[in-house]
Amino acid sequence: MTYLGEHTFWAGLGRMFIALSFAGALLAAFFYGIQALRSPAEREERPAHGLRSAGRWAFSLHSLGVLGTIGALFAALFNHWFEFDYVWRHSSLDMPMEYIASCFWEGQEGSFLLWMTWHAALGMVLMRTAKSWEYGTLMTLSLVQLFLASMLLGVYIGDLKIGSSPFVLIRELPENLGLPWTEFSDYLMRIPAFRDGQGLNPLLQNYWMVIHPPTLFLGFAAVTIPFLYAVTGLIEKRYTEWALPALPWTFFGVAILGTGVLMGGAWAYEALSFGGFWAWDPVENSSLVPWLTLVAAGHLMMVVKHKKTAPGTALFLTLFSFLLVLYSTFLTRSGILGETSVHAFVDLGLNGQLMAFLGFFTIGSLLLLAFRGRHLPKSPSEDAFSSREFWMFIGSLTLLLSAAQITFSTSIPVLNKLIGPEGMIPLLSTQMAPPADAARHYNSLQIPFALIIASLMAIGPFLRWKESPAALVRRVLVASIVSALLGALMIWGLSLTEPLYAALLVISLFAFVANADYWLRFLRGKWTAGAMAMAHMGFALVLLGALISNAKKEAISTNATYIHADFPSNENILLPLRDTVSMYPYYVEWMGERTEGHNRIFDIAFYEVETPLASWVDGERKHLKTSFTLAPFVQMNARMGNVREPSTQHYWNKDIYTYVSYADLRPTAEKEGDWDEPMEASLQAGDDIFLFNEYLLHGDTLVVQDASFDPESGALNDLDIELTMTLKAMDGTATSIILPYHLHGNEVETTEVEIKDTPIKLRFDGVTDESGTFKVTAWKKKNQDPPFILLQAFIFPYINVLWLGAILMALGSLLAVWKRIYRSLSEEKK
Amino acid sequence: MKRSHVFLLAVVAILIGALLVTLQDASVYATFDMAQKQQPETVTVVAKLDLDAPLHFDPKTTLLSFTAVDKEGKRARVFYNQPKPTDFERSEEITLTGHATDSAFIATDILMKCPSKYTDKEGVMPESASVNTPAEA
Repeated sequence: MTYLGEHTFWAGLGRMFIALSFAGALLAAFFYGIQALRSPAEREERPAHGLRSAGRWAFSLHSLGVLGTIGALFAALFNHWFEFDYVWRHSSLDMPMEYIASCFWEGQEGSFLLWMTWHAALGMVLMRTAKSWEYGTLMTLSLVQLFLASMLLGVYIGDLKIGSSPFVLIRELPENLGLPWTEFSDYLMRIPAFRDGQGLNPLLQNYWMVIHPPTLFLGFAAVTIPFLYAVTGLIEKRYTEWALPALPWTFFGVAILGTGVLMGGAWAYEALSFGGFWAWDPVENSSLVPWLTLVAAGHLMMVVKHKKTAPGTALFLTLFSFLLVLYSTFLTRSGILGETSVHAFVDLGLNGQLMAFLGFFTIGSLLLLAFRGRHLPKSPSEDAFSSREFWMFIGSLTLLLSAAQITFSTSIPVLNKLIGPEGMIPLLSTQMAPPADAARHYNSLQIPFALIIASLMAIGPFLRWKESPAALVRRVLVASIVSALLGALMIWGLSLTEPLYAALLVISLFAFVANADYWLRFLRGKWTAGAMAMAHMGFALVLLGALISNAKKEAISTNATYIHADFPSNENILLPLRDTVSMYPYYVEWMGERTEGHNRIFDIAFYEVETPLASWVDGERKHLKTSFTLAPFVQMNARMGNVREPSTQHYWNKDIYTYVSYADLRPTAEKEGDWDEPMEASLQAGDDIFLFNEYLLHGDTLVVQDASFDPESGALNDLDIELTMTLKAMDGTATSIILPYHLHGNEVETTEVEIKDTPIKLRFDGVTDESGTFKVTAWKKKNQDPPFILLQAFIFPYINVLWLGAILMALGSLLAVWKRIYRSLSEEKK
Repeated sequence: MKRSHVFLLAVVAILIGALLVTLQDASVYATFDMAQKQQPETVTVVAKLDLDAPLHFDPKTTLLSFTAVDKEGKRARVFYNQPKPTDFERSEEITLTGHATDSAFIATDILMKCPSKYTDKEGVMPESASVNTPAEA
């Protein structure tokens, strides 16, 4: 049977490309592998160019397969072919075009594909630049790609599912097989559910989702390259030489992965109502951890490159960084974090495969390290206490410890699976849960590590080979005095009382000032020499900005209503519509709400007191001036759930961050509620009558607009009259009202008129013939509570320091990459 | 003893220290009964919202109160002094962090698992479609 309207050609094409990328990776691993397992000397003897060409061809075919897969998937998304499960699940017709990219990598399959694409691209670069390292690195990369491609295969061997293909049609899903509707050849036209997809999760519908995942995955892919060099170094017994070509890749990874991680933070801060840029969420943690170990690995690679000995720790850290990326992949994609994270992927049932992926490279790396470990060159003498190398080693160990701690706390759900009461080896009697106060837990452990790291960053650059401690003190004297003074000033200015925070503030300032000093005085401010200083200064600013903005984050929206000793006053301020409320140091007013597309926007005006004197007269509008307005909104999404999104006012030295924490989101008509029992009134012109004890209704005049009589019988045929009335409220405001009444033959037409700015509705029911008394029916709304919202508002001081630091750090690391590439190019020319 | 050994020892010591602190900080997954016994210790309870019991949210005080049923079927009145999470009633499972008192459970944090997050295909592409179509055909 052929189905109507399906794009099975494209499904087949996509699957073919996936198969091509799988087969290409397999062949590349094989051809490169033959040569990779020979020693470089052997290779020189027997060059076997044919094998190398075969490897290159295979890897190029693999890359072509990856590109083709992307093309086919994009075509399906772009053209809204909803018979594809992936397209139906992740996109919808009403989505703006720019989010097509976002739906591409919203799902696991797409993000695997993104990761593979970067690997393939970096692999093509390696093919051209790696020279004698080509065989080992590309063989290993092909193996990595083989595992990744297998995640997309979507084939069944018996009951075993291998991979999940993005080209599966909905009718081919196991749960739909054999259902009656799959028997209709025109099912696509017949079932309305196929006309539109589910759409992208509203949390993900912003430009961060367009730029964050590609950056992060490029970062992950960049971590792989040093790993490839380390593996090749171990296989080919080039224990120290690998560090030189791996270094620029490492710094590239540091720059890109660091940017990607902080971009995630910026996203959370700008567009999500988590109330900050970092929440120590498992998914955030697991992308930070490989960055920490990669930084450590990079520093030790420099030692190995310089001293040509003792590569053990550098090798371990490089291998470990990649394994942590795999572990992070496993954590976020296996569904194991389900109860503990807000943004893990959906479980696709690929856990076995993910574990095989992680297991293969973990066991492989460890075996390789174990077998070659004995042969690793040992340092003949121990590093001197005052040497840069020794302290770099200490710094790297500290980074490793910091990474280990974060990993351990993040892995609590995994520990439950392993040793929990229902785990494989039940050691624990109760299920462990993540720390209740994540921020306090991680801060208390990570700040001491940060203190050590920042101190080493400050002193490290000044360390020279074989120098007395006294000489070192002389060198850092300027920086320490400057930062101590500046630090004291800032602690006083910010009234920072926590000793640990104060210490970190001074030390990270020290790291910043010392590196600036080193660059300006010792390197004479040369740009090309400034990579290290710049990256260090950037990282010091990241620490400083994170510290100040978090430690001095201030909730200004306090709700002081006392409920019970168990409930501390909380951070949600109640804003009735158009009422000015004090929220120190501002006065705020909720101006109203409006709807734009899917967004329900709440306009909040912030006022400041114009003169100090005026503040004594509480809340009078004429003493207040509008400072700014913010527009936090709620994205309405019936299918995925509504999402609150913040709005932030940026100043150079602080941000005012707000979001609506509660609002009545029902449609206006529904919100206004029902009408109470009507009240009937009879009155004559000039009479007054009380309505609901609150309003005074005055009958003004009755005007006959039009009247026509039947010429034969003389009966009234058509009548068109208007009753003018005045509604007076308690405060004296009067509203003039016109109530119409029409008669057409025997048909009476009356209109219920809602009176503006009041909860009243009136209807003119006609005139009693005898005395000219009007009959009027009045209603009042049941729900008379004024509308309100709850708002949260925070001041984040000096958060821009953090973003500035992030940029500086990335630039510094990229400068280091450029410097190394430039140097190796100029060496080649000689 | 070589200096590297001293450092190795120091590293191991710090690692063990950090692990112990983590274990101390970690709360436990508990039931409402266990939370009762361990009060006022902070625990994590995975539960379901009882939609038949009254659910009340007072925006003026931002106090949310509802009844939850834990995995052993034990019911508890829960108080949460934060705005009601969006789509709270639609949640499939709620993870409550907080402590028990003699009469109720005081939640400081609620994490919801919504069916929408774990794409519920049955709801949209249902058998009902397949039941209806033959009649049309």
